[in-house]
Amino acid sequence: MAVVKPEMKSYIWLQTADGSIQQVEEEVAMFCPMICREVLQTGMGSSKNYAISLPQRVNPAILGLILDYCQFHQVPGRSNKERKIFDEKFIRLDTKKLCELTSAADSLQLRPLVDLTSRALARMIEGKTPEEIRETFHLPDDLTEEEKLEPLRNMTDDPRIRLLNRLYARKRKELKEREKLKNVEVEEEQHVDERSVDDLLSFINGADEDSKSARATKSKKKNRRRKEQARNSSTNNETGNHNQESNCPPSSCLNGDTGDVPSPFKPSDLQVSASVKFSPKLDFDDGDIDDELDPAMKEEIDREVEDFARRLNSDWPERMQEILSLGQERRPVPLSVNGNGSLRRYTDFLPWHRGKCFYVLPCHVTPGSLVLLLVKLL
Amino acid sequence: MDTDSDRDLLSDLPQSIIESILVKVPLVDAVRTSILSRKWRYKWAAITELVFNDTCRTSGHDKSIISCNLVNFITRCLFLHDGPIHKFELNTSYSPASPDLDQWLLFLSRKDIKELIIDIGEDDWFRAPSCVFFCPKLTHLVLVRCELNPPPNFKGFLCLKHLSLQQVIIPPHDIEVLISSCPLLESLTLSYFDSLELTIRAPNLKYLNLEGEFKDIRLENTPHLIGISVAMYMTDDIAEHFEQCSGCNFDKFLGGVPCLERLIGHIYFTKYLSIGNEQGNFPVTYQNLKFIELYQVSFEDMKELLVVLRLIVSSPNLEELQISSSSITTTTDIYDLEFWERDWPADCTFGKLKIVHMTDFSGLPHEIAFIKFLLGHSPVLEQMIVAPTVYVTDKVVKMLIDLLTFRRASPQATVKFIQEPL
Repeated sequence: MAVVKPEMKSYIWLQTADGSIQQVEEEVAMFCPMICREVLQTGMGSSKNYAISLPQRVNPAILGLILDYCQFHQVPGRSNKERKIFDEKFIRLDTKKLCELTSAADSLQLRPLVDLTSRALARMIEGKTPEEIRETFHLPDDLTEEEKLEPLRNMTDDPRIRLLNRLYARKRKELKEREKLKNVEVEEEQHVDERSVDDLLSFINGADEDSKSARATKSKKKNRRRKEQARNSSTNNETGNHNQESNCPPSSCLNGDTGDVPSPFKPSDLQVSASVKFSPKLDFDDGDIDDELDPAMKEEIDREVEDFARRLNSDWPERMQEILSLGQERRPVPLSVNGNGSLRRYTDFLPWHRGKCFYVLPCHVTPGSLVLLLVKLL
Repeated sequence: MDTDSDRDLLSDLPQSIIESILVKVPLVDAVRTSILSRKWRYKWAAITELVFNDTCRTSGHDKSIISCNLVNFITRCLFLHDGPIHKFELNTSYSPASPDLDQWLLFLSRKDIKELIIDIGEDDWFRAPSCVFFCPKLTHLVLVRCELNPPPNFKGFLCLKHLSLQQVIIPPHDIEVLISSCPLLESLTLSYFDSLELTIRAPNLKYLNLEGEFKDIRLENTPHLIGISVAMYMTDDIAEHFEQCSGCNFDKFLGGVPCLERLIGHIYFTKYLSIGNEQGNFPVTYQNLKFIELYQVSFEDMKELLVVLRLIVSSPNLEELQISSSSITTTTDIYDLEFWERDWPADCTFGKLKIVHMTDFSGLPHEIAFIKFLLGHSPVLEQMIVAPTVYVTDKVVKMLIDLLTFRRASPQATVKFIQEPL
């Protein structure tokens, strides 16, 4: 604390965060840039009522230390050596006080003191082991095992740490492999959706014969990837095949019938768009095919598809007329998300529902393939 | 407020304090703080000063392994660093391979680098990549042993205040352009340049430090120079050049530095200044010049002596003078000792001169006359220290006697004779 002499000295009043007010010699207090600025800019500190309130980090005990420092150093006549000796003695404090002092000096913007205390703290960190540092500063040892497993970016030649690094590296590797297996499965799931969208797009875009085969091979390639997946077998395979093959022939048929086909479909935009709306939601489970068909089966499927396509093309105009004449009941084609099961139901109702709003498709036409067809015909 | 004694003391301090602590420990220790606790994981990665020196090297003897480890450490540190990097210093005797160094410099050029210091290995000169020239916030650049080729679209370092190039290979024209394109340049150091003719235009320059073989140095626009230190080496080439050049070097060099406070000259500096120097012509006074240190002044060359005299007479506020005499003894000419009575005005006084330090004193006639002159014209002189050169032992006693008999203008002047122990 500054010594109060009954002379013509002016004083500055300072108030710490806890409310206590101190009276300090002006020259000593003005050594702190923050106090200096306050006095010059706001004129505070000239009396008890207008004491300058110091930042929260400055408590009375620490303020006392800071004022000691300021009092010594603000005297101009001292030699560098004297100042150094004072500094060395000054920072012989316990760690807690040193940290508080650094913090307080920083908030008062007293740069030389911050440097001095930082240097002292730096000396406590330099060359020490982590345990020692933790003890000195009461740091919690709260890194989780996982966090510790990330490689230590340390250039060190301490053999213990090198060994630790190697162990950590091995553990990391194991963790990673475990994760990789998980990720593989996740990736497969994602591929399902992506590929179905791709299929959809390619179906819409590529109507020409050249891309036909390309498309076929492309979808075949994609399907090949899905072989590992545990998916339902026979029915899916068959319908899947149809799905795939049916992409191609209708377009060829369509090319022939371009005159007929487009016009009747204009009014059916509603319907088609409705079903198209369904398409993203449809689970293209059927898409996964086992490519290894034997050729006989393949031929049979081809025939069936062509047959169906012809029927579709010929029936549609009449169908459309019928539907239009019914007028009000324009319900979208009731396709359910789980294609096969529900379709079978509809197939059962085949005779009943002729003439009604919905058109019942043969059982090997799955919802997915239907949508693709419809979109194509659009 | 009572705190429980186990409370964390350090982690909650603001980053500016953490930074000021971490920059005071070697970088390796700073990186090690990442395993102290969860909060400390990446505190080190935000520090803005990275200094890589020999504290970062692993122990061992295999140079290539140490070099490799150092390169890895630097690369990893840079990669993990988060935030701006204001200072990067690389000070090592191992030369990292060029691709690594180029990549580091490219990385730094994107990180608001302000201070760049590169002083590496003694094997090869590294080629500074062009990204060095496009660090807009650079204020401090120190390069040692490198090749610099400023690209054609280089507009200068607009914030550069301190430039130090040592053993740098750079086309002579480019060095002048480099200097003049740094408008805020305050301190310039050029070392070990070969046969350079240099014109310096740096309106804010305060400190100039030159060392090397310079043919010609001209200070054209340096009105704020405060300190100059020059060491000029001589080659035959330069000696020839000295014979042929015209104009007064003294004026060219010291003609435009009215604020000069400190002048230090080594080796052939006084010889350089002596060329073209006309006697009795003192257009400029150096009001602020307080310290003059001249080394290797040849007291057998009248012209050099004239330079010294001109300097001290033009500096009315000179306080401290240190002169070291050249130990080359050429063939003894006839010393014109009348010169001191005849040509030098008796009324010149050195009103502020307090300390004179003469070293490598060999008892030459002009040396003794010079000391006598100083003693007689310095009314406030406090100390005259004379240290004879080690090569002269026999005349020492005679010199001492002579010195003590000289008239002293200052009542408190003491003459100290310091003899180095053999």
